[in-house]
Amino acid sequence: MSTREALLPARYHNAVERWRETFIPDFDYLLEQWPQHFPKDPQFKLCAYRECQVCPHIECGQDKGKPKHVRAATMAPEQAHHLFGAIRAQASTEFGSIQQHRLTLARATSEEEQVWVLRMMAEELRHGYQMLHLLVEDDWSAVAEDSADDLVEGILAMQTGSHILGAFNIDFDSFLDNVVFCALIDRVGKYQLTMQKISAYKPMAESMPQMLREEAFHLATGVVPLRRLMVSAAKDEIYVTTTDVQQTINKWLPRGLEMFGDERGGGTNVRYGLKPKKNAEAQSEYVAEVQKLIDDLNMRFIRARLPKLKLAEAEALRRRVIEEGETVQGIAPEDLVRMPHPEFFRRRGVPAFQMVGFAGERFQRFRDYAHHLRQHLPSAYLAGRDFRDYLESLRQVVHGQISAVEASRRMPTLRRVAGSCPCSRAVRWVRDEPLEPSQPQAGEPSQPQTADAVT
Amino acid sequence: MDDSTDGVRVRALDTIDIGAVTRIDERIGGRYRPEVWERRIGYYLRRDPEAALVAEIDGEVAGFMLGEVRAGEFGLEEPTGWIEVLGVDPDHQGKAVGRRLAEAMLEHFRARGARTVRTLVDETMGDVAGFFERLGFEPATLKPYVKSLA
Ligand SMILES: CC(C)(COP(=O)(O)OP(=O)(O)OC[C@H]1O[C@@H](n2cnc3c(N)ncnc32)[C@H](O)[C@@H]1OP(=O)(O)O)[C@@H](O)C(=O)NCCC(=O)NCCS
Ligand SMILES: [Fe+2]
Ligand SMILES: [Fe+2]
Repeated sequence: MSTREALLPARYHNAVERWRETFIPDFDYLLEQWPQHFPKDPQFKLCAYRECQVCPHIECGQDKGKPKHVRAATMAPEQAHHLFGAIRAQASTEFGSIQQHRLTLARATSEEEQVWVLRMMAEELRHGYQMLHLLVEDDWSAVAEDSADDLVEGILAMQTGSHILGAFNIDFDSFLDNVVFCALIDRVGKYQLTMQKISAYKPMAESMPQMLREEAFHLATGVVPLRRLMVSAAKDEIYVTTTDVQQTINKWLPRGLEMFGDERGGGTNVRYGLKPKKNAEAQSEYVAEVQKLIDDLNMRFIRARLPKLKLAEAEALRRRVIEEGETVQGIAPEDLVRMPHPEFFRRRGVPAFQMVGFAGERFQRFRDYAHHLRQHLPSAYLAGRDFRDYLESLRQVVHGQISAVEASRRMPTLRRVAGSCPCSRAVRWVRDEPLEPSQPQAGEPSQPQTADAVT
Repeated sequence: MDDSTDGVRVRALDTIDIGAVTRIDERIGGRYRPEVWERRIGYYLRRDPEAALVAEIDGEVAGFMLGEVRAGEFGLEEPTGWIEVLGVDPDHQGKAVGRRLAEAMLEHFRARGARTVRTLVDETMGDVAGFFERLGFEPATLKPYVKSLA
């Protein structure tokens, strides 16, 4: 098992570095903190890592057993088109998550948790870099209209609101978003990467192992603080309650489920040897894992609240509270967290806009469902644009103005961030000038909120 | 990671297994130590996640093993695989869970370029030494010394 390093051509490498200066302004702080928090871990490096020995033969689908493709040109046009879309979407998620994490990073409850998230952001940057490397190393002109310059620029110019997948267009409102996002959304990432390890496109398969290794830590960055928050909640330390954790899970889990794609789909990926599982199969395994996580969080809560209980007694108590709905030794069902029904608050896939409640109950009237959602989602999220757009689409579906399919296509309603601001065209990440280390370029706004979104 | 006819499935440890590992440790040693496992598992997943393994029987975690490849310790320059922590649920001991975990771990160490695997066994914990001997481990010349600083 060994990896080799590869760098992007300088103009793209510098573009990513420039992007990093804007969206990970604490990067230097991370490097400073590294020896203290991650002693002996190799220093972070912005590069692509390719695994040296991956299976050389296609592992599933119609071409199983044939050699993997080393160039996009040898792939069937539809296959290459599919893969190209997946790489671009993957790149968008990597850069997108950094833009989200950045918003609330400063509110971390401990220095350790903050540095963990910061390291994870740096690794997401590397993942985005890895995907750009796949895009510029090969010739995708048969399936992509854009030049390599425009492809890279287009991805780096995306912002929260103009990314490809819904989960990456939602703002973070508190540090709870950072950790729940890592626990739930990065877990979907783990699934996608694991599946793509078998990709019929060898450069993709080679890109996955190191990303997956890093992903294991990203999940810990979410789950470990979440477990600690459950302890705080159990001890009635007021800054976080189980309700907050539950509502944040409700905000993210539906978006995580939608990242698997439509429940009826995924066959094309399997046929082309790009992934071994169809969407519904991977999604249901994910649901089972999230259920385990939730059981685990509840046990952490119960044992922190009632430290004298023996293991078996605590397990029995959890079952009674969760399954029988009883209040036992002062622990009520609402003190624990639950898995939202997989059809709750969905906007894509089979259950899109079907008005399914948290516990799987069905609603007939728009107003009733809107009220139900209001009770189950974080208040800061309700006040935001994503929820408003969702409600508006739902209202139109319920009133027969558009079909659920049309509404799905519209979500996320992409925010065009270009236009009105006079400096919007001034920010271009891919440029010919060399990078000046840590020095903002003359005339460059330090926070280019208005970069042109090329979608 | 791999399935086998004995019903034991070894796979990579995931953060959702922290509860199961804590539980096995508690069942073996009688102490509930969630913070210890949160910290340790955070550490191993960061360093070498492929050397953090669990074994499942019927979908339930029955055992775990944590290790790492290191070089340059105790004058051992070549990369060496270290098995550092292991535990098998008392209900599942004697079902080859430990053996299967060790096999998967050794395979990983080999892939990482290690030519030797080492571990330290606390003799007061008795049973672990016998297990390693059955797996072909031999007493090493490297002898641990200790002195209290209290
Ligand atoms: C030691 C331990 C890991 C063995 O795991 P296990 O799953 O029961 O062992 P296996 O069934 O895989 O046994 C593998 C081999 O080791 C042998 N073995 C296991 N325990 C043994 C013991 N106590 N003495 C001698 N041999 C032993 C088995 O007979 C078997 O040999 P075989 O395959 O040649 O027949 C397990 O009993 C354990 O977790 N004990 C507690 C460890 C502990 O205290 N951990 C705390 C943290 S370090
Ligand atoms: Fe990532
Ligand atoms: Fe990640």
